[in-house]
Amino acid sequence: MDFANNPSFIRQGPSPAARLALCAALSVTLLISDSQFGLMEQVRQGLSVAFYPLQRAVNMPVTAARAVSDFFTTQASLQADNNALRNRHLAMAARLQRLETLEHDYETLRQLNHLKSARRDAGELAEVLYTGRDPFSYKIIIDKGEDAKLRPGQPVVDEQGLIGQVTRVQPLTAEVTLVVDKTLMIPVMLQRTGARAILYGYGGGVDVRYLPVHADVQSGDLFVTSGIDGLYPEGIPVARISRVDRNGDTAFIRLAAVPVAGVQRGRYVMVLDEKAHVPARPAEPPPPAPKAKKKSAEDEDN
Amino acid sequence: MSFDRPKEILKPVKRRIIFLSFALAILFELLPLPQEAQAWLPDFTGLLVLYWVINQPRRVGIGTSFSVGILADIASAGLFGQHALAYSVTSFLALLRQRQLVMFNLGQQALSVLGLMLINQFIMVVARMLTGSAFAGWSYFLPPLTGALLWPLITKLLLLPYRNMD
Repeated sequence: MDFANNPSFIRQGPSPAARLALCAALSVTLLISDSQFGLMEQVRQGLSVAFYPLQRAVNMPVTAARAVSDFFTTQASLQADNNALRNRHLAMAARLQRLETLEHDYETLRQLNHLKSARRDAGELAEVLYTGRDPFSYKIIIDKGEDAKLRPGQPVVDEQGLIGQVTRVQPLTAEVTLVVDKTLMIPVMLQRTGARAILYGYGGGVDVRYLPVHADVQSGDLFVTSGIDGLYPEGIPVARISRVDRNGDTAFIRLAAVPVAGVQRGRYVMVLDEKAHVPARPAEPPPPAPKAKKKSAEDEDN
Repeated sequence: MSFDRPKEILKPVKRRIIFLSFALAILFELLPLPQEAQAWLPDFTGLLVLYWVINQPRRVGIGTSFSVGILADIASAGLFGQHALAYSVTSFLALLRQRQLVMFNLGQQALSVLGLMLINQFIMVVARMLTGSAFAGWSYFLPPLTGALLWPLITKLLLLPYRNMD
């Protein structure tokens, strides 16, 4: 640093401008290597382990407050909860009975059709540690990671529906990208009609594009995962249509949809196992002859 | 000279206080806060970087700002380098006018800090949008405002350990 009261012959290292140039160059390199090539994954993993006790420590007051409020819950509210839960349990049990019958029928039908049955997977229960502070992406950090054998790509749900997908696994924690994030696309279908579509997150909400104007959709319809990508198991509720806008000018319907799951709230989530092994894609059909010829000619040129 | 700058002779700043303040700011970054609070809470790490650059330019320069920025990047789970870039640029700008900034009264300083923090956010928005993120909305520029409002308070707080109490 140069100051007016320093004699000019006392050098204090490189000038601020030079330092800035160095630091800016470094940060731009970091930015590019992180966003384009993901070169910093290893560093991030190591650092996340170092940060883990800190995260736990700053979470402690919150956890303690929860514990205290749990302790002072009155008996009346407990009883009310208990009753509600018992009722719910009865209703659920009835539904489960029906579901089991249906599942059995379904299995039989599938086997009749000589189809492999889809595996019903258990999941890993995880607690949300904190939401990412980064306002540009919608992510949550959960308290299970490599220690629970999580892998990137596993779907994450809560009791209402799909929340997102595990995108980055660190030794003790994992990052879940929420369905409202701009980078997530989910193949869905309309539960009522079975029409397939793709649900795009746009940063803060979800959006269904490219449904033709005359498609049969109503507000209140539910989008569930279609399961055709081999990643999300089929039938998980994702979003509900809140408004349908059929504008004659465009070829597509404009739909406003809201995620059904507690995407930005809730404490516990379930990380599902990936879908059962999907057979590999059939090989591409051989390209038509003239094209192949042209390509081989090009190869010879090169 | 202004009224609200301390006129008494202050004790020298201890290195560990600087470390401690940055550590606290990073810890604060890790706190699980509700979404609504995050929307307006200022970037305390950035404010501290500016405070120390303005008041202790020999101790805290561009290199320190860069390193603190890297830590902030990790803590906020953003992209590597976004805070580092923003902090290095703003601390450079602050250093250019450092001798002027220390003479300002707290109101004038708060205004300059508002400008610098806005530049911070602007650099981060540009960096993120160039690397393919969606625009986070205009509310992203609200934290610098609350930060500038809190500047006098932060200054007073950080001066407390250096007052000669006798």
